[in-house]
Amino acid sequence: MSGIDRMNLNTSSQSDIDEIESLFNISVQPATLEVPQSVPPARKPSSPPTIPVSAPLLPPSSVSSSSQAFSTPAPAGPTLSTGFGGGPQYNTLTEPVWETLKRDLVRVSNNLKDVVLPNPYREDPGKALRDWDLWGPFFFIIFLALTLSYSASENKSKVFAVVFATLSAGAIVLTLNVQLLGGSIIFFQSLSVLGYCLFPLDVSALVCQVNNTKLFRSLVVLVALAWSSWAAYPFVSTAVPSSRKALAVYPVLLLYITVGFLVLANN
Amino acid sequence: MAEEQYAHPGICLFTVLFKFSALVFYILCSIFIQSFVIQFVVTVFLIALDFWTVKNVSGRILVGLRWWNEVDEQGQSVWHFESLDQQTLETLNKKDAWLFWWTLYLTPMVWVALGIVAVIKFNFDYLLVVGVAIILNAANIVGFTKCRKDAKKQIQQFAASTLTSRMSNTIQSAFMSSV
Repeated sequence: MSGIDRMNLNTSSQSDIDEIESLFNISVQPATLEVPQSVPPARKPSSPPTIPVSAPLLPPSSVSSSSQAFSTPAPAGPTLSTGFGGGPQYNTLTEPVWETLKRDLVRVSNNLKDVVLPNPYREDPGKALRDWDLWGPFFFIIFLALTLSYSASENKSKVFAVVFATLSAGAIVLTLNVQLLGGSIIFFQSLSVLGYCLFPLDVSALVCQVNNTKLFRSLVVLVALAWSSWAAYPFVSTAVPSSRKALAVYPVLLLYITVGFLVLANN
Repeated sequence: MAEEQYAHPGICLFTVLFKFSALVFYILCSIFIQSFVIQFVVTVFLIALDFWTVKNVSGRILVGLRWWNEVDEQGQSVWHFESLDQQTLETLNKKDAWLFWWTLYLTPMVWVALGIVAVIKFNFDYLLVVGVAIILNAANIVGFTKCRKDAKKQIQQFAASTLTSRMSNTIQSAFMSSV
């Protein structure tokens, strides 16, 4: 039964399977310890995920959405008829937490690289950011709001609240926009992409702390804006029918220009 | 009869700890910290920690349920709801499960009440925090409730499909051996 279950599992969750096996091995066979691997970048085709009901529920590890923030955890690995309850003790749970965090961080950095650096998969909306997670965007939004609030000379809390609300509401509205235009991108994927494309603006906000001259700030913000738009454009435009590309892309650019102005206007 | 103890006291503790500290911090923060930004970030951080803990640790260990989302090859989003098999489900500690479900359902109600208070006090900035809390808690509630409902259905389906596959395997092997 365990063999069948393992075959039916989604191969992109190999790391979780290894993690669970490592827990199992820690408690039962201390000699053999499997090290959880990071999520494989190549996406192998997965058989339709069957739900291994007879398999005991073993610790998934990634968040999420949370993603997590909400990134996705993965199905369990080895089966043990007594279930996991008797196996891993409490203190072994603290062990995989680090592995979990590490794997989530790796996932976030992978997604970031996919979005902001040249990537052959960008044009394909189906493959664009398959492994979406919302922790990265969450962190970037908070970071941008924090940076802008910190550098604001007055009304710090107002600035923070405004930036945070604008970005989150903006991302949601833009995603809805793409969906309503008949887009083929998944809601959370699109949220994820829009969040990750904020990274250049984050960098620009940070760099603008260094120097306060208008010219320098304008240049930096312009470069960051161009980078953000270049990053976001393929994901959004390929997701909608070609006659509606402009309708989908324009609001995205508008959002980033607004954020760019917020960065620029801070003194 | 001996009273049932918590099987996983540490995990129960963490489940409650993050929820509780997020709520307490939200309510008391203005006494200690003047800056709204720090209040916001710390509260939201605690809420996020709580979400992650409940989803990944408490859910699977206390009640044997798990849910997540995947994007398959065709680019479709697939939601997975998974649960332990029936016998293991029954061996789970009742107290753990009670604590898990109670805190899961109670916390968003408290946040909604706090949200109403914030609206009455015209503190719309704090409504952002409450909004984040409610969204994350609601996600967990929906996920785990669906898990629980799906659990029974899946057990029946699985039993039926195993039966048919076993039968067809036997028939096949019988056929092969006779050929």
